Amino acid sequence: MNTYSISKLARTCGLSRSTMLYYDRIGLLRPSGRTSAGYRLYTEEHRQRLERIRHFREAGLTLAEIRAVLVSGGKPGAKLLEKRMQETAESIVGLKNQQRMLAAMLRHAASGKLPASVDKKLWVEMLRAAGMNQAAMHRWHSEFERRASEGHNEFLLSLGIPADEVARIRRLSRGTS
Amino acid sequence: MKNTVNVNEWVALFREIGLDQAQMEKWHKVFEARHPSAHQGFLEWLGLKPEEIDRIRSKSK
Repeated sequence: MNTYSISKLARTCGLSRSTMLYYDRIGLLRPSGRTSAGYRLYTEEHRQRLERIRHFREAGLTLAEIRAVLVSGGKPGAKLLEKRMQETAESIVGLKNQQRMLAAMLRHAASGKLPASVDKKLWVEMLRAAGMNQAAMHRWHSEFERRASEGHNEFLLSLGIPADEVARIRRLSRGTS
Repeated sequence: MKNTVNVNEWVALFREIGLDQAQMEKWHKVFEARHPSAHQGFLEWLGLKPEEIDRIRSKSK
């Protein structure tokens, strides 16, 4: 049979060792026994009980309420409610992920432009850091203009470069092959 | 005519002018070190998914 030390069980369930000691002291989760060296021993059954305790805590039940629920055992309906609670917890995780994704998409869709902090100065600094010199930057503009002239235009405007300067850069980009 | 450049076109553009993989990685590293929030904003602007952005940024640290 699978047994757990206090630290291993705490780690498995994402709780601290001191929480486990507290649960032992108040009788919420008592180890099944001790090793010959006196260490607390827990079983798979304890792990399952601890998972339930954790879910009840997350759902806002107090420790006293949790004890009452665990003692009452399989009262009709309780199992069903617990199952629904588990499903709700999973939905919350799923929705949180969706929210994060939507927020990122919304930021992108709403602005459609670079953050204000990304300006010409920063961009040139970054290109230099990547090892590009003046000639390489010129080639970059030429290629950008040749492959996607509208994208080039939009990107330069996004960097906060005034329209007349953008037009000048693009003219120069077209001037060479 | 489309206005936005996607990430593949963007990378192709840099490759075309001779930037190799190592230089691009260095670029991300410098961007992350000097301007972390601008790096995030730029990757979002390119239309990358949040997981992909996280991956690139943590690799650049």
